[in-house]
Amino acid sequence: MKHELELKVQAWLDGEMSDHEASRIADWVARDAEAGVLAAELGTVRKAMVSNELIAPLPETREFHWSKIERQIQREALTLDRPPVSWLARWRRLLIPLGGVTALACVLTLTVKQMHRPAFDEISATGQGMEAVTFHDQSAEMTVVWLQDSSQTSGTTQPAKISVPDESHSDFDTE
Amino acid sequence: MDHDYPALAEVDLVRLAQKGGLAAFEELVARHRDKIYARAYSMMRNEDEALDLSQDAWIKGWRRLVQFQGDSSFVTWMTRIVINLCLDQLRKQKRQRTESIEAFEEDGGGVERQMPVVTPNPTEGLERAELRQRIDRALAQLSHEHRTVLVLHEFEELEYKEIAKRMKCSIGTVMSRLFYARRRMASLLAGLKRENLE
Repeated sequence: MKHELELKVQAWLDGEMSDHEASRIADWVARDAEAGVLAAELGTVRKAMVSNELIAPLPETREFHWSKIERQIQREALTLDRPPVSWLARWRRLLIPLGGVTALACVLTLTVKQMHRPAFDEISATGQGMEAVTFHDQSAEMTVVWLQDSSQTSGTTQPAKISVPDESHSDFDTE
Repeated sequence: MDHDYPALAEVDLVRLAQKGGLAAFEELVARHRDKIYARAYSMMRNEDEALDLSQDAWIKGWRRLVQFQGDSSFVTWMTRIVINLCLDQLRKQKRQRTESIEAFEEDGGGVERQMPVVTPNPTEGLERAELRQRIDRALAQLSHEHRTVLVLHEFEELEYKEIAKRMKCSIGTVMSRLFYARRRMASLLAGLKRENLE
């Protein structure tokens, strides 16, 4: 039997059909043995179950069960009674931790910068008529400073090169 | 004003509770706690879950009490609340189950499709208490989907359309689930009868 027909037999038993279709199915069930047997089985289960539910008793005493419900109701009532939080307080709640995080980030940045500072102080020694070009090579850990007397003509320029290893004061190499 | 709450009619208790009378609500809980718990248990088949859900239903009932218009009885209204909570919980659990064999069987009809029709009435000659026990044992062996549709149709006497709305599925799915659930119940009840005879 097609599943669609089986469902029609069930719908007929459950009274979920129009009068016209119900009488059509009733005729068919009366004539067709297979449909009749199926209708009997479905009807038996339906009849047996209606008004035969086993009621599982609540495994708690009345007082204990109610005390849990009452506590929850009172907790919710307290929450509702609380005054609403102002927008200023809400912002403050957000800004205080944010400010803390920003301050911490600043302190960390300064500390890291301090740690990577060269071991010598920066010297600014360009006098009048002097030009200085500084080049820093990170891989060689060296700073090269070109000093040039701008009063001299470009053709006769004799630049002085001073190579300074980053972590040392003593290793001066002057050309 | 003092009231003799156990002596009051349900409609009066509801009216007092709607005005915020917690003692009146306590009396309503006392009158219907077993029925609400039993419905949760019949759907979940787990004592702890049934306790939590029936408690949640009472709290939700208290919160929404002003919406109760008295179109149905108070206990029917409360039963609908606990059913909805159980259905939500079952849906959550279903989402957590991945690639469920249960769901696969349900969609295709599973073994129920192949089962021969049970001809002798498996419930014949049984005492009511025994019949209830057997029905309960058989229900425990069904999938959540099959059990829910049977509970809603046979115990709550809801129509296909109403069940479909609550279970958030089509009427066709409800009809199919109900059909396979009944066939499986027939087979389980027959099996339980054979066990008893042996």
